[in-house]
Amino acid sequence: MNLNLLAYLLFFPAMMALAVGVAQTCHRHGRPWMLGLFDNNDVLVDALNNILLVGCYLVNLGYIALVMAAWENVITIEQLVGTLGQHIATIVLVLAGLHYQNIAVLLLWSHFKHRARIDHHQHQP
Amino acid sequence: MANKFVLTYLVYLPVVLLLTLYVARSLFKNGRVFMLDIFRGKTEIADSTNRLFEVGFYLINIGFALRIMEVNGYWAENLYDTNQEVVETLAGKIGGFAIYLGIMLFLNLFLFMRGRRKSNANRMPRPVEPTAPALA
Repeated sequence: MNLNLLAYLLFFPAMMALAVGVAQTCHRHGRPWMLGLFDNNDVLVDALNNILLVGCYLVNLGYIALVMAAWENVITIEQLVGTLGQHIATIVLVLAGLHYQNIAVLLLWSHFKHRARIDHHQHQP
Repeated sequence: MANKFVLTYLVYLPVVLLLTLYVARSLFKNGRVFMLDIFRGKTEIADSTNRLFEVGFYLINIGFALRIMEVNGYWAENLYDTNQEVVETLAGKIGGFAIYLGIMLFLNLFLFMRGRRKSNANRMPRPVEPTAPALA
């Protein structure tokens, strides 16, 4: 069997499972934060959360496929292990970056909303 | 089959069409909530607008998917007869399309949020909430 195809066969399912797992964790545990941001409007929050989940799948799986498209030619087993490690590391680091960015957005948004509420109450006669 | 162009197209088309279908359905199933908010609970006009946007979404995205379908450039000058080439070409095309679709999804979501904010801003101001009774 062509070693490139073997690499894709190992790489794609594993990375897909990882991306889907991370997205579902964000979907589940981001919900309480979103409820805080949208004044406990749970119908709106669920709709928004589902759309964001689909967007997360699309972008992550698309990036995984693009990494596969630019794979170098693999001739030996050593090369197979080396390129697999490199590309898995890239995907994991990108997922980590996106994850922390998500957390940062939620925290900052909550922070500013909280500040605005305090200011609003202070300026009321 | 000497070269694999036809095989590539046969795999590419169903994948892309089903992906567009899935994304559009889940986007506009959830988008109905935003439309109801924007049109203040007028169900009929909210559903109509939602449907119009959905049809537009299908047209743009399926059009783009067909536009990038053709295998050309580097591959067209080679034999293009191994499965490895097919997998790599498909990964490039479908991956690029998925990211494009994600950007379109977020664009639509941005429009929903913006419409909702504008609609809320135009609404009649709320009656003043009763404040705590003054001391003594």
